[in-house]
Amino acid sequence: MALSVDEVRRIAHLARLRLSAEEEEVFVPQLAQIIDYFDQLKEYGSEAEIPEEALCLEAEDSPGESMDRGAFLSNAPDAMDTFVLVPQVKVTGDE
Amino acid sequence: MSELWSWSAEELANAVRGRELSAAEVVGAAIERTQQVEPLLGAYLDRFEDEALERAADIDRRCAAGEDPGVLAGVPVALKDNLNLEGKPTTCGSKILEGYVSLYTATAVERLLDAGAVILGKTNLDEFAMGSSCENSAFHPTLNPWNRETVPGGSSGGSAAAVAGGSVPLALGSDTGGSIRQPAAFCGVVGLKPTYGRVSRYGLVAFASSLDQIGPVSRSTRDAALSLSVIAGADPRDATSSAEPVGDYLATLENGVEGLRAGIVEEVDTSSLEPGVKENWEQSLRTLQACGVEIERISLPHLPATIAVYYVIANSEASANLARFDGVRYGHRSEQAGGLMDLYLESREEGFGAEVKRRILLGTFALSSGYYDAYYGRARSVRTALRRQFQQALTEVDVILTPTCPSGAFGIGEKIDDPLSMYLSDIYTAPINLAGLPAVAVPSGLDSKGMPLSLQIVGRPFEEATVLRVARAFERENATSFCPPLGTVEGRGAAEAG
Repeated sequence: MALSVDEVRRIAHLARLRLSAEEEEVFVPQLAQIIDYFDQLKEYGSEAEIPEEALCLEAEDSPGESMDRGAFLSNAPDAMDTFVLVPQVKVTGDE
Repeated sequence: MSELWSWSAEELANAVRGRELSAAEVVGAAIERTQQVEPLLGAYLDRFEDEALERAADIDRRCAAGEDPGVLAGVPVALKDNLNLEGKPTTCGSKILEGYVSLYTATAVERLLDAGAVILGKTNLDEFAMGSSCENSAFHPTLNPWNRETVPGGSSGGSAAAVAGGSVPLALGSDTGGSIRQPAAFCGVVGLKPTYGRVSRYGLVAFASSLDQIGPVSRSTRDAALSLSVIAGADPRDATSSAEPVGDYLATLENGVEGLRAGIVEEVDTSSLEPGVKENWEQSLRTLQACGVEIERISLPHLPATIAVYYVIANSEASANLARFDGVRYGHRSEQAGGLMDLYLESREEGFGAEVKRRILLGTFALSSGYYDAYYGRARSVRTALRRQFQQALTEVDVILTPTCPSGAFGIGEKIDDPLSMYLSDIYTAPINLAGLPAVAVPSGLDSKGMPLSLQIVGRPFEEATVLRVARAFERENATSFCPPLGTVEGRGAAEAG
């Protein structure tokens, strides 16, 4: 299928990726080629899903220890007291 | 006596447990060998030499006190750097995990440690295990010990190169579409992908959750069997791990294969293989026939769709799994961000490499409104059909045989700008992940350029004992040395190649 630059930008935004102009130039034809290859799936008949068998152990519903807060926060790029800090959520121009 | 670095894990552990060798001697020899070969290969992202020697000393103290540290006592092991080890960075070969230090240890790694293994370091990989050449690492490429102008395969290329180069006898990798078996094939070592659910995935950074599986890379089938017995088994921390009992895979390994039925697949077009690869494949079949294996033809009509199905499903799952890397709780955070949306966009733009972005885009596309049914839905449906075909075939035969890869290792840079061509190198390995089956890649000889080739043996779910038994019978007949010509080769090191 023909994949336009606008379509790739739309997908990139859904994926929370911001592509540079150079990346767009490389990715658009590559993605179009790969999706063309995926299109061979249309030649195969559809079949009902097999339910996933057996492979689902249920954990016991009992309280356990969770990760130590201090240790968790030590990996955060920015933290204050017991919180992870992020920039202002709503900025003019954001969706 | 051969040099210690060339001993198998089993031999080393037996010698340490029998107090014929100290763990300190074993680990010291591995460190010395690694210091020699690592500048040539670039197999590692991080090494823990001091801690490894401390742990070896502890194992020696336990042996002296009459304790048995376990079946891997003193064995140096390397871990693919998408497996968590508490207190150490886990990078996944990506800049986006910059600064991240693991807060816990993966279950498979815990089990190695409980069996007395000594972790020597963490190995290089294609970023987030996405790739077939180890060139997608954000840090440096890894080079193939057999010819450093070629790739070691991927994504567990660092683990395969470390084992082939003699740094360690055993390493863990992860396999989503061939990422243990293909690098094992390219580096002339044994790579085992267990049945989906055989080994807990807890602590493995997720790429495609319905396909990922942890497994060993080793220089012999005996070490693959030994290590699988250690790492396999149910784990309450992974709901997809299986309660199926774990076998003693070494106990039945030497039992032979007389009368066993092996299938070769109609839809695997071996006539188009390169001449050296084709001859090696045909010779491999003759070798197994001479061992008493009966070869039959089977059909998997949906096999030609494998790469399309695999890359739709794997990338769709990856696009969801990698959404967590957003610059908020850990890893790289862009300094350019003005607001929260900017933080996500900029951190991911700066942190992810080209292949990861390409796959996230493909997965997001396949899951997006308007395309979901045509791509993700259809791929799942074809996967189901393929699984049924494998199940049917494995009622007719005990194992299925294919070449592990369509060729020996390709050149560095040869496929990096042609992602579809790179994807097609997974053509024989990826269907096995889609079907969730166990498979082992075992060295089958060398091609005309002197590069290793490999045979893939696929079995029924949880019949690792059978695939390993076939691999062992094959290995016994192919008892040539598979030691790469390292040390005789002069040239640039891995770091320079990057």
